[in-house]
Amino acid sequence: MTGHTGMGIKVLGVNHLTAPLDVRERFTHGAHEVPSALTRVMAAGASGGVLLSTCNRTEFYLVADDEPAGDAVWSLLGERLDTKPAGGAREYGYIARDREAVRHLYRVSSGLDSMILGESQIQGQVREAWEASRAQAGPVLHRLFQSALHVGSRVRTETGLGMGTASAASAGVAVAGKIFGDLAGRTALILGAGDMAELAATCLSDQGVQITLVANRTHERARAIAERLGGKAVSLEEAWPHFATTDIALCSTAAPHAVVTWERVGAVIGARRGRPLCILDLAVPRDVDPAIAQLENVFLYDVDDLQTVAAQATARRRDEVPAAERIVEEETDLFWAWYGGLGVVPTIKEWRQQMDSLRATELDRALRQLSHLSPEDRARLEQFSQALLNKFLHHPTIALKQAAEQGRGYGLLEALRRLFGMEPPE
Amino acid sequence: MIVTLHLIALALYGLATAFVLAPFLGARAAPRALTIALPCAGAAFHVIAISQLTPVGLGPALSMLAFCLVLLQLVSERLLRGSAVSFFAGPVATGLVGLAILSGLTPGASLDAGGNGGRSAWFILHVALSALGLALMALAFIAAALYLLQFRELKSRRFGQVFQRFPPLERLDQLNRFALIAGFPSLTVGVLLALGYGAQFSGGLHAAKAQIVWGIFTWVVLGWAVWVRVVRHWAGRRAALASIAGFGAVLLVYVALKLTQPGAERFL
Repeated sequence: MTGHTGMGIKVLGVNHLTAPLDVRERFTHGAHEVPSALTRVMAAGASGGVLLSTCNRTEFYLVADDEPAGDAVWSLLGERLDTKPAGGAREYGYIARDREAVRHLYRVSSGLDSMILGESQIQGQVREAWEASRAQAGPVLHRLFQSALHVGSRVRTETGLGMGTASAASAGVAVAGKIFGDLAGRTALILGAGDMAELAATCLSDQGVQITLVANRTHERARAIAERLGGKAVSLEEAWPHFATTDIALCSTAAPHAVVTWERVGAVIGARRGRPLCILDLAVPRDVDPAIAQLENVFLYDVDDLQTVAAQATARRRDEVPAAERIVEEETDLFWAWYGGLGVVPTIKEWRQQMDSLRATELDRALRQLSHLSPEDRARLEQFSQALLNKFLHHPTIALKQAAEQGRGYGLLEALRRLFGMEPPE
Repeated sequence: MIVTLHLIALALYGLATAFVLAPFLGARAAPRALTIALPCAGAAFHVIAISQLTPVGLGPALSMLAFCLVLLQLVSERLLRGSAVSFFAGPVATGLVGLAILSGLTPGASLDAGGNGGRSAWFILHVALSALGLALMALAFIAAALYLLQFRELKSRRFGQVFQRFPPLERLDQLNRFALIAGFPSLTVGVLLALGYGAQFSGGLHAAKAQIVWGIFTWVVLGWAVWVRVVRHWAGRRAALASIAGFGAVLLVYVALKLTQPGAERFL
């Protein structure tokens, strides 16, 4: 869509479908890098820009001409690669223009384009990207991102795309929630200090669970997590008595065999007097002896169980995709109608002025040759020329406005400008 | 009119129950607003019907019990933020309204030949509080049953419809505890009013009456269930089993008395 700026909405970027992780990592921009990156790209002729950069995507949303801005984006991203493919960063990327670009952003904010279908984190990331680029976004992208957040909320409210949990770590939180209800104020001990343990512990902590202990063979690593999430770093041997009091035990050590055995915790768990204990065993090979699950009020889940919960959620979410896509289409139509209306008014105004100027010039020339006419006749002729011009312009004007309202004004406006030799606006 | 209103309530409760149970039969879940609006509408018709009813006999008693159960179901749904209680309460309430209609809902039946305003109020209060106590006991049973089903689902790691749609164990345990503790004083006052009514207006207590036997037995069972929860601190699975056993015993005794003394009492 050319619009009143004479430029179209574009998105240029890479995501988890087009680029491997090591490439995406290179392209990721921190919030502090956004203004300078946008300044550089917009210097190539964009009138507005927003940079959305997450671990799964780096996308430049621009109101710009195709070529110069595109070159600037690929050049900027290409500089971040140590080894450049023959086609540069462009080889990893994609471009969507106009209506497709709008639809793309709406799908992104809805979670339809996410690695984990329907994940909700992207909504916050879209908001942060908009806020970080606020000074450079311009009115069209402001409106676009505002509406994208609305679309994301609509999809999550009106469909089940965001229901359930779609990762093993969040599935662990969901399962614990089915035992305890509200997790705020519950206690958890963490066995192991790897990335998985940290991620799952963070998920629990986000729900208000109090991390009391982090037990690991390497004390330093345990202390690092304990300092970040609260709690105390201890050795594994010191952790066993705490199975008597904790609500949740999160196990994710790198041990080659079960470390939570009946001998170590059986008697301790027996002293819980029936209070439920949720054990989340995220380790492979498993950390917890399966026999522990036979104890009354012990709920033990391993990675397979949690992945089952996550997979069920993903399957349910897939069923909701058509409903979510319908909302995206509806909202794209609405935005496109608004955007189409932006360009048509000034263009029609300019066109009518141009036609009126022609009319006035030609009338002037004719009246000079008809000097014998009385003032009344001259006025009548002037009136006639205006009426004739209005008749000529009426139908095309209405057709243009209607097409713009329906988001189909782009082609007509371009044709109008070409046919009547109108300059692209500034 | 009373029967018509009951039939409308029955239809609305039945429809709500069908919507609530639909996901278990593979159908798509109905919007939550609908599963709340339908029993609400049913309760509105139901309360109009009850207001025109004299609470004498099996039909009115069942109707009042069903109404209390629907009200408790709606409150529980609100507290649990889910529709799990209606999986059980919906069919039970619908069935009770159906039974009430079949048992007869004649308006204007007098409390007894010489009934007056004071006696009516006494009796109505007795029926209302007893029905509320019984409904709360039924709610405790429902919470316990849901608890055991969810417990089994979580223990066996099945993650099916029960896992997804039933509330967390802890909330069900709290609901069971709340229902028992709230039900006991209600039933206690209901039973005391019955005893007082008998002593005051019916020429003394007649312990042989099946109605009194069942009432006192129910009160004892409910008292025991409250005692084990509050004094002995039973919780979780053991408390759920106790609730189910208690409610089951109350139902069994009712059926036994009904079979051995058919038509002997107005309520039985």
